[in-house]
Amino acid sequence: MTAQAPAPGDQPILFVRDVHKHFGGIQAAAGVDLEVGRGEIAGLIGPNGSGKSTLFNLVAGMETPDRGQILFDGHEIGGKKAYKIARLGLARTFQIPALFENMTVSENLLAAAAEGHWHGAQQRSDETLALLHLEPVANNRASDLSGGQQKLLEFGRVIMRQASLILLDEVTAGVHPNIRKIILEAIARLREQGTSFFVIEHDMEMVRNVCDRIIVMDSGRVVTSGAFEDIVQNSEVMQTYLGRPQ
Amino acid sequence: MAQTMKNRWAGLLLLVVILVVLALLPVLVNNYWLRIATGALMWAGLACSWNMLGGYAGYINFGHSAFFGIGAYATAILMGADFAVPFLATIPIGMIVTALFAVVIGAPTLRLRGAYFAIATWAFAEVLMQFATVVDFTGGTGGIGLPPFLNERFFYFAMFAAAVLTYFLTWSLFERSRFGLKVKALRDHEPAAEAMGINTSLVKLQTFVLSAVVASVFGSIFAYWVTFINPKSVFGGDITDQMVVMVLLGGLGSLWGPAIGGVALFFVNRLIWMYYGDTAFYIAILGAAIILVVLFLPNGIAGLFARRSGKSGSVLDTVLGRLLGSRQGGRS
Amino acid sequence: MDLFLQTLLNGLLIGGVIATFSIAFQLTFGVLHVIDFAVGAWVVLGGYFAYYMAAFLGIDGFLAMPMAFVLFGAIGYLMGPMIYNVRNSRTARPELMALALTFGIFTLLRGGMLTIWGFNTHSVPTALSGHSIMIGPVTVPLIRVAAAAFAVLIAGGLFFFLFRTRYGLAIRATAENRQNAALMGVNIRRLSANVYGLYAGITAMSGVLMGAIYSVNPEIGLRYTLFAFFVAVLAGLGSLGGALVAALLLGVIEAFVATYGGASYSHLAIFATLFLVLLVSPRGILGRGL
Repeated sequence: MTAQAPAPGDQPILFVRDVHKHFGGIQAAAGVDLEVGRGEIAGLIGPNGSGKSTLFNLVAGMETPDRGQILFDGHEIGGKKAYKIARLGLARTFQIPALFENMTVSENLLAAAAEGHWHGAQQRSDETLALLHLEPVANNRASDLSGGQQKLLEFGRVIMRQASLILLDEVTAGVHPNIRKIILEAIARLREQGTSFFVIEHDMEMVRNVCDRIIVMDSGRVVTSGAFEDIVQNSEVMQTYLGRPQ
Repeated sequence: MAQTMKNRWAGLLLLVVILVVLALLPVLVNNYWLRIATGALMWAGLACSWNMLGGYAGYINFGHSAFFGIGAYATAILMGADFAVPFLATIPIGMIVTALFAVVIGAPTLRLRGAYFAIATWAFAEVLMQFATVVDFTGGTGGIGLPPFLNERFFYFAMFAAAVLTYFLTWSLFERSRFGLKVKALRDHEPAAEAMGINTSLVKLQTFVLSAVVASVFGSIFAYWVTFINPKSVFGGDITDQMVVMVLLGGLGSLWGPAIGGVALFFVNRLIWMYYGDTAFYIAILGAAIILVVLFLPNGIAGLFARRSGKSGSVLDTVLGRLLGSRQGGRS
Repeated sequence: MDLFLQTLLNGLLIGGVIATFSIAFQLTFGVLHVIDFAVGAWVVLGGYFAYYMAAFLGIDGFLAMPMAFVLFGAIGYLMGPMIYNVRNSRTARPELMALALTFGIFTLLRGGMLTIWGFNTHSVPTALSGHSIMIGPVTVPLIRVAAAAFAVLIAGGLFFFLFRTRYGLAIRATAENRQNAALMGVNIRRLSANVYGLYAGITAMSGVLMGAIYSVNPEIGLRYTLFAFFVAVLAGLGSLGGALVAALLLGVIEAFVATYGGASYSHLAIFATLFLVLLVSPRGILGRGL
């Protein structure tokens, strides 16, 4: 499904058109078209190797597209440096937590705010610790945390960025249900404040409950997008992705 | 908690006592020991400057002596008959020259990955040393003499002031400010730091220049103090080696580690010199010290006093990890 | 023109010897994943060994070579497990620990050598020293030709071993993909120890040759480490074929700068080239680098 050019006054927060990226012989993005609306929680699903993480890296600035256009909040960001894109209001988590291992939990949060969001950072850090139930380990080294706590901290840093669009890369993968609950509540809270989310997930429950709209990718392209119920009834998708004949 | 507060005050008191003793030292000891103290302060300061880039930013600079040497030669040349600049004025001039070098060299070099950065900086320092050996205005292998000024107290206080300022600067910039958080963030995970909006290239360069300029100050004072320098004495690899071991031994990435390691190793150096007459054995000790640190003491001596458990790794681990480029996050 | 050819030839010849220990250095990196700072120290120790064999037992340099191989091969084989253990220990960043370890070993050896032997310089005497031969229009010291010949022999032997024997295959497999090699039944620990021993032995042999052509003193070890680094950077860490080319290139650069510019400039030229190469192409100009 190709994205239409956005109508004026209806601008999506993220607009991706015809984006291509290859690594060596592999075409990781083969003409991706999608958009994420303001205040929307969009889910991105697809089989392994479909190019989801590559797309995130392209949007966040870790990779440069060979071709195509990426617009974030009206700005052209394709090929821009990651730190500049972050300063425009985009934040992301990493699939393997990319914490600042030698710093404490509090320091990790403060470091996230160091660039451009220093005003009131200490207070927001305290609030974030409370929101994520990380107060008991506030002064522990990040590398000492359990896997679930690390995911929480990863998410906490993103909160500190006060971003308008947050990219979450399998943020609840393999975590204890309690921790998942905390994260989901935090997502809900942020969404109320107007933050948009773009979420890679394999967990269909989470996708169904949390996402407003699903985008399905396969082999470097967007196959289809829509509400969860519609996707589930789409037999083409079910075959490619979920492997069940419908 | 009460215990932490108590520890804080105890630490502060200890610091004040040490500073007072150091300030009064010329009155308390004779010139011989004053010279040793001067040297110890210099090394503590140099080690601290190396730690800025090596410990806080995680970039192992194997050519740090280059900046020490530039400061030394700047002072030596400027105080020569051709220019006759007063000593104190040579220091800021040396700093500017050093800063220029650091910017020109740092910008491209900092883009290199860990081990390559170490090798490149090493190569740079050697180039400078060779250059100083073959060129005329540096006096070639023969070196340069400076106008003698045999006032031990002056140099003691010069080094003392420089060291105190260095540590204060390090504390306020790297331990207490948002700049320090940015630096440590890029050390621990450069891509994640970028994702937090931090311009890592700029922060790295700023740290590089800062560490260079501080080393240059010590170089300037050193030159005037010893009244004679040649390429090996100020650009030599032994100088960098010593700085590196001092910081590793004291505790990479900690504030006081460089001071502890610097003073301890310098005293060992002087002791060996007293009993053996040369420092060849000292080099062997440096080697043994590194091995010891790597095998048993990755957090250095300072790490022994840290209250957290060291099992989860150390700054040394992270930095050495970068040296072999084995963890830089990236695509999933 | 004659001088040009002579310099070129000298450069290639010495490049051959450099290639020997550089290739071994690359192999160690490939298998153990360790950048062995101490490579220069092994070279110098090989030279010292040959010197003492000659001084006390009257043994010719060339005869000392296989002895050096055995001795340092054994030492390397004994040290290998320690390096392997550090490299594979369960602490957070073992590769790096091994790197710092080898730097410590290098410094310790250098300091030890300086303490024991001071700054004196010695030469390794051989039956061929002091003679020259004519190759076409140029005259070269016979020792250089012989050294290069031996280097080719050693390198050739190494390549044969690596590419034509089963054990060599195991080594290459381990360098390529350690996990798979282990799955196929290779005892990585034992192999690593063997490789380190092989590397130390070969490097020490090339040290005998270096000692015959130049001389030995404790400070020169750093120069050989620099050479190995230079080759590794130019060729790309771990690349064997590239190392050969890079080493020859290094020898030629060194020879030309020393002849036309003066010995004091050769160091400068090499370091400057190294620096520039790193800035331009950190992954190595020639090989697949890391």
